[in-house]
Amino acid sequence: MSQVMIKELVPRRELVDPGHLACPGCGAPLAMRLVLKELGEKTIVVLPACCWSIIAGPYPQSSLHVPLYHTAFETAAAVASGIRAALDVRGDTDTTVMAWAGDGGTFDIGLQALSGAAERNEDFLYVCYDNEAYMNTGIQRSSATPWGAWTTTTPRSQPQGTKKKDILSIMAAHRIPYAATACVSYPADLLEKVRKAKSIRGTRFLHILSPCPPGWKFSDEQSIEMGRKAVQNRIFPLMEVEDGIRWRFTMETDGDRVEPYIKAQGRFRHLTDEDMVRIQDEVNARWEYLERMVASSP
Amino acid sequence: MAVELVKGNDALLRGAVLAGCRTFYGYPITPSSEIAESAAALLPQLGGTFVQSECEVGAIQMVYGAASAGERVMTASSSPGISLKLEGVSYLVGSELPAVIIDIMRGGPGLGNIAPAQGDYFQVVKGGGHGDYRLIVLAPNSPQEMCDLAMLAFELADRYRNPVVVLSDGFTGQMMEAVEFPVPVTSIPPKDWAVRATPETSGNLINSIRLMPEDLEEHVTALFEKYASIEAAEVRYEEVQTADAELVVVGYGIVSRLLRAALARVRDQGLRVGMLRPITLWPYPSQRLAELAETASGFLVAELSTGQMVEDVRLAVNGRRPVAFHGRYGGAVPSVDELVKAIEAAYPAEGRSA
Repeated sequence: MSQVMIKELVPRRELVDPGHLACPGCGAPLAMRLVLKELGEKTIVVLPACCWSIIAGPYPQSSLHVPLYHTAFETAAAVASGIRAALDVRGDTDTTVMAWAGDGGTFDIGLQALSGAAERNEDFLYVCYDNEAYMNTGIQRSSATPWGAWTTTTPRSQPQGTKKKDILSIMAAHRIPYAATACVSYPADLLEKVRKAKSIRGTRFLHILSPCPPGWKFSDEQSIEMGRKAVQNRIFPLMEVEDGIRWRFTMETDGDRVEPYIKAQGRFRHLTDEDMVRIQDEVNARWEYLERMVASSP
Repeated sequence: MAVELVKGNDALLRGAVLAGCRTFYGYPITPSSEIAESAAALLPQLGGTFVQSECEVGAIQMVYGAASAGERVMTASSSPGISLKLEGVSYLVGSELPAVIIDIMRGGPGLGNIAPAQGDYFQVVKGGGHGDYRLIVLAPNSPQEMCDLAMLAFELADRYRNPVVVLSDGFTGQMMEAVEFPVPVTSIPPKDWAVRATPETSGNLINSIRLMPEDLEEHVTALFEKYASIEAAEVRYEEVQTADAELVVVGYGIVSRLLRAALARVRDQGLRVGMLRPITLWPYPSQRLAELAETASGFLVAELSTGQMVEDVRLAVNGRRPVAFHGRYGGAVPSVDELVKAIEAAYPAEGRSA
């Protein structure tokens, strides 16, 4: 990799204040900080119920320097559609509307509104910061929770029994102009994707893996390391899809074993060696699928 | 039976299990999530079903499906989640399906907050969903009653083939108290109307569509004949020191616990104050309130809302006595001192001189 100066890479402006209400080590405020650095002040954030409903702080104290709409759980994409339409009517085309939802509000209850907006190719950026469960209500499973994980509604006697929903493929299947994955552990890649998304009109979707110390059960200082591991072991490949057909990896990975990542998190503590093999096989199979998508891209 | 220290939400789920419920569909929301978590921990071990649905609408419609098959089935949520479920509740009523729905109320309107409130009285007791219907609504004021009324809810739902709501609040759901768990229900009456893909049930129909106006009118009339029988048989309330009361205070759920403490204080001051606590919010103890309006000189209603149940008290008293109101809302809760002052202010002048 060629040498890059951090100050050239990361915009200096800060639109997220310290003193926000996230847990120590939370990936979610870091994700917001990076995304807003790139989007700038002319951004409106649309926020359904999620951890960020709390992190933002109670009005008039706000950890954000941009306008913020709290919406009903299932409605981020619908409210964002309405705000976009209102801005367009007023001739304001340079303000970015950004829906900012967790995995529950995206993969589960908000998927209908998101699908509708994507089908209409609404002109907004939809960011899902994914901490792989309903963390704000106390760690209940979502359809983004990985197979085998403990949550309070998937106890160790009955851990998560389904595979994580492939939201990137779902969004790509809507043929939206831009869909991508990113992780707070790789800020350069994340910023580049936000920059690209900002330059495109229509529905743009960004899926950010956001490690969660209390929900995944690891200690606060390991968040960045967890994200790196998830990318390097191909559990969470960094990639982008243009117009639903041009798939591309944005980061080379070594294809590390998943085991150190799984074993570092208390939510997987009950898993057996057989389970580990099963997870590795699943990751390998999905990687091969993605490689085929990339190889067959025009 | 052993006494255990149990959280209200957990006591409720265990009551449901004792009532024979083995099927739970729910979605996470504070302050009701412990009910789903308890169901996730307990039901699979008992051979039952726990499903965390993709949304509140999904949960109530899964309840519809399981209820159609004759299962004792439940869902639990909190205020905004109940708003989402109300279409499904109306369908359950229309198809005369028994089901138990738990509402652990929080502050509204809108996103509001997660603090305890009683702002759902209108949406749960007065309808909320579309069409003409009634729900049987039970209001516990302790973890013990969370268990007991959950059990009663399943019994009443089956008996009347109508959804029953246990309407509680964030306090009663979250607080821990001693609970004595009753013996489990061992026999559940057969449901010969259920549809189970068997030859015996193949002629049954679960349905709420009635295209001809006369048919629908006949159906709703039959529902309301059923409701009249529920009103005649199922009114439940608790009375405290009403025999000589000049002022009757009325409150349900957690508010009744605060009123009870205030009552002890004002009785010590020599004020003759009693309390009526509705346990069924529908059917409402209107008749008993009307009787008390003959003997008491005034009423005071306290709620964690701007005044919703107070309308039912005023309807029952029907202008014969003044009905004062004291409400806190948005998650705020009155102190006992504050309630004592409200009681003193509402205490009838003729009561003082008597």
